[in-house]
Amino acid sequence: MPVATLLTWLVVGIVLALPASLLVILQNLEAATQDMHSPARFSVLLSADATIDKAALVSQRIGARMDVADVVFVDKEQALAGFAADTGLEGLLASLAENPLPHTVLVNPRDDLGSEELAVLARALDSFDGVDEVVFDTLWQARLMGALQSGRRLVFGIGLLMVMGAVLILANTIRLAIEARRDEIVVIKLIGGGDAYARRPFLYTGLWSGLGGGLLGAAMAGLFFLYLSAPVDQLLQLYHSDRSFSGLGVIGVLTMMLFGGGIGLLSAWQAAAVQLKDLEPR
Amino acid sequence: MIEFDRVSKRFADHDALRDVSVTIDTGEMVFLTGHSGAGKSTFLRLLMLLERASMGTLRVDGRDTARVKGRDIGRYRGEFGIVFQDHQLLYDRSVMDNVALPLEIAGFHPRDIKRRTRAALDKVGLLGRERVNPAALSGGEQQRVGIARAVVARPRFLVADEPTGNLDPQLSAEIMGLFEAFNRVGVTVIVASHDLALISRLRHRIVTLKAGRLVAGGGF
Repeated sequence: MPVATLLTWLVVGIVLALPASLLVILQNLEAATQDMHSPARFSVLLSADATIDKAALVSQRIGARMDVADVVFVDKEQALAGFAADTGLEGLLASLAENPLPHTVLVNPRDDLGSEELAVLARALDSFDGVDEVVFDTLWQARLMGALQSGRRLVFGIGLLMVMGAVLILANTIRLAIEARRDEIVVIKLIGGGDAYARRPFLYTGLWSGLGGGLLGAAMAGLFFLYLSAPVDQLLQLYHSDRSFSGLGVIGVLTMMLFGGGIGLLSAWQAAAVQLKDLEPR
Repeated sequence: MIEFDRVSKRFADHDALRDVSVTIDTGEMVFLTGHSGAGKSTFLRLLMLLERASMGTLRVDGRDTARVKGRDIGRYRGEFGIVFQDHQLLYDRSVMDNVALPLEIAGFHPRDIKRRTRAALDKVGLLGRERVNPAALSGGEQQRVGIARAVVARPRFLVADEPTGNLDPQLSAEIMGLFEAFNRVGVTVIVASHDLALISRLRHRIVTLKAGRLVAGGGF
């Protein structure tokens, strides 16, 4: 029996460890991407006929705003020289009759601005006299958020399937346990034991299997995170993040155990109700 | 009081009991006899609510058993002590644990369970064998364990279905003596037996069934 119990714990543990691991990885990803929201930057392109003095004045007025952390003024000559250096097209660009690039103000908003406040700032920048266009590249953020949202749904879907698997495994374990003790249940019912009395030991078995499975699942996920944390931490350092990979923690372990216990109890209740209903005497 | 009032039980292919009317008074000891297939077991199964009557009324202490709902059957059966021909003991636990089972079901305190179980085993002459597995006991001793289990919760009714079927005459007489002893302290005892030689020596009412019909000892 101890071997059978351990096997049940292991199967339930594996089934619970997979969605729990995916969830923890997703949570870490979400935390890491919060750091990536802050470097949002506006490129304010001034009109082609704006003089350098007027452009510098606009840059100064933008920098004075409360919701702007700092500004970098790039005049059109600087921009052309930089573009030529980056692309190696110095000869071609030198042959142009006039500089096609506008003066540009690179605006770094304050770190604590939310998406709505950023939108307000974008509209305000666009209304400045002499501003031709405000460029704010949010596409990468939208893609990232979309990927995370998909990830969340994927984890939820896999988790749901896995939990259904755990319920079926536990219910089948209880069904076999009831079959193995059929004679005993018959005697109990003959001498006055109701379904509640006959069901009780199987509820304990279900609860125990779920709790044990949850604990083993947490242990397996913990080992996986231990294996994963060092390279992930190195990767985060490469992105200058001060975060580190965080695992389940005590609350996570307790949650897995309680969740396992809950589905164990539920599975046992369901299996016992069905089995005992069909078992004579009623 | 137990009242069978024109009770019939029909199974798919035959009538197990037909229009049986019997009254058994509180504190009475009654033998139920008849050949194999006469309806003795069906009579007891109806009484224990293992089956429901097809027709007629079965009342226990004035209560119509047809009104006993599924969730109350356990409590109803708890008023009966039942002894089986094949003992129906649990062979993965000790004599003590077997006898204690009705008390555990009734929710007694462990201290009371131990005291009452030892008292029941003492009554059937098995005190000192509490820790033994029932499989290690003889047929007669196993039947005594079954009787101890039937009486340990001090039921108002004691029902036995062929309790001496597998025992020799001397052991059978001893078992019947135990039933009489419980009857003397007020327990209503109903014993189904086809051993006419044995039960006719004992001075109790004999209810005779034949092919599902009552032929003697009805009491109406």
